[in-house]
Amino acid sequence: MLLLHLGAFHLDIDSKQATFWHSLAPRTRLLCALLMVFAIALTPNGRWWTWAIYGLGVFGVVFFSRLTKTVLLKRIAVEFAFIGTVLLGTLFRDGGEVLWSWGILRITSEGLTVLGSVTIKALLSLLTLNILTLTTSVPALLNALTALRVPPLLVATLASMYRYIGVLIKEFQAMRKAAASRNLARNNVWQRFVIGNMIGTLFIRTFERGERVYQAMLARGYQGVPVVEKVPSGGRRDVFVLTFTIVLALLGQSIYLPH
Amino acid sequence: MSFSSSLFWSWQPSLALHIPDGFLSLPISLITWVIAIALIIVSLNQVQGKYQERTVPIMGVCAAFIFAAQMINFPIPGGTSGHLLGGTLAGILLGPWAGALVVSVVFIVQAVIFQDGGITVLGANITNMGLIGTFGGYYLYRAIRSIIGRDSWRGMAISTAVSAWVSVFIASILTAIELALSGTVPLNVAISAMAFWHLLIGIGEALITLAVVSFIWRTRPDLLYGSANSRKVVDSRPLVQR
Repeated sequence: MLLLHLGAFHLDIDSKQATFWHSLAPRTRLLCALLMVFAIALTPNGRWWTWAIYGLGVFGVVFFSRLTKTVLLKRIAVEFAFIGTVLLGTLFRDGGEVLWSWGILRITSEGLTVLGSVTIKALLSLLTLNILTLTTSVPALLNALTALRVPPLLVATLASMYRYIGVLIKEFQAMRKAAASRNLARNNVWQRFVIGNMIGTLFIRTFERGERVYQAMLARGYQGVPVVEKVPSGGRRDVFVLTFTIVLALLGQSIYLPH
Repeated sequence: MSFSSSLFWSWQPSLALHIPDGFLSLPISLITWVIAIALIIVSLNQVQGKYQERTVPIMGVCAAFIFAAQMINFPIPGGTSGHLLGGTLAGILLGPWAGALVVSVVFIVQAVIFQDGGITVLGANITNMGLIGTFGGYYLYRAIRSIIGRDSWRGMAISTAVSAWVSVFIASILTAIELALSGTVPLNVAISAMAFWHLLIGIGEALITLAVVSFIWRTRPDLLYGSANSRKVVDSRPLVQR
C-alpha cells in the first residue's frame, strides 16, 4: 500500500476545499479523528448499534467535506486488501452454534460475529483516517501534533524524516537502475548480495547526509531546540465540533450500558 | 487445531507485523501503549544525551533510511519475495536507544500518514518491533558477539544473522499472542501461521541484514555502533570476492 501512495506522494488532494470541516483547526480535526478511531476500534465485538451510530458520523463527514470519492474508495480498497487475508483467520473458530460445516471447516455463530465486528472496525477506522489525511496536509498534521503536547523533539524528527523519504527513495532507485544497467541480477543469491550492498551504501550516504543537514541547520542558526510554530488554536466552532464528537462517542457506548 | 492447516496458507506474510486497527482489544492496546510511550520517552532522552543538537537531523534521515529500506523487495529462499523489517539492522547500526527511536518514528509515520498499520494498535506495533525487534535484537547480537569474539568477522557475522532471525521470529510470536489474547484469532491458528511464515521471513531478514552489515564492515566499520571512532579500516579487501 505504500507504493501506491508514494507513486503520487501527494496525499492531501482535498485540503484546499472550503467546507465546514476544512474550516476547523488541524488540531481539532486530528483530535476528532483520533477520538473516533479509538472509540470505533476499541469497542468490544458484537456491538452493532454502536458502530451504526459511529458510521453515521463518519459518513456524514465524508458527505459534507466534499472529498474526491473515487480516490477515497481506491485508497481504502488497496489498504483493505492487505487486511482481508488476516480477516479469514478470525472466521473459523469453536464456540457458539455451528452454522455450516464442510469436512474440517466449520463456521460458527461466534466466528461470524468476530469476523463481522473486526471487518466493520477496520473499515470505519480506515475511512476516518483517510478522511483526515485527504483533507489535512502533512505539515498541518505535524503542527497539530505539537499543539497536542507531543514532545517537540519527536515532532521535529518526524518532520525531518518525512522530508527525506522521497530523497532516499530516489537515491535508491538510481542505484537500482545503475545495478540493472550493469547486469547485476544474475540469480537470487547474487541479487540478495547486491541489494545488501545497495542498502549498505544507502546507509553510509544517509549518515553523511545527516551530518551535512546538521551543518546546514547550524549555518541557519539552529540551536538544538526545534522552532515551535504558532498554530491557530481554534474558535467556537472547534469547541462545538469537539463536544459533538465526544457526545457521539459516549452515545454509541451508552447503548449497551444497561446490559 | 483442525483448522490450522487450512488457514496456514491464507495468511499473507506481508501484513504480519503491522497490525491494523480493530484487531486488538482495549486492555491489550492500553498495556502496549504504556510500554511504547515509556520506550519512546526514555529513548528520546538517551538519544538527546548522546547526539545533542544533532538529534533531529541524524535521527530524521536514519528513520527515512529504514523506511526506504523496508520498501525494497528481495527474493527469499523458498520462492516468495519479502522485505526488510530492519529492527535488528537499526539496532546494530545505531545502537539500542537510537535504533528503537528510529523504528518507533517509522511506525508513527506509517500509521498516521500512510495508514500502514493502525493508530490504536500503534503501541503494540512499536512494542513488538521497537522493543523486542530492535532493543532485544541488539542485546542478543551483543551477547553472541562477545561470546564468539568481538573483533572477528566470524563473530560479527554469526551474531548478526542469528539475532536478526530470532528478533523477527519472537516479534511474530508476540504479535500472534496479542491477537489471540484480544480474541480476534484463535491461539493455535495465530501462532502456527505466524511461526511458519516468519521462519522463512526471518531467513530473508537474516541474509539481507548480514549482507548490509558485511558491506559496512568492509567499507566504513567506524559507522557501526560501538566501534571506537579511531578504529582503522581493518581489512580493506575488494568489495566483491568472486
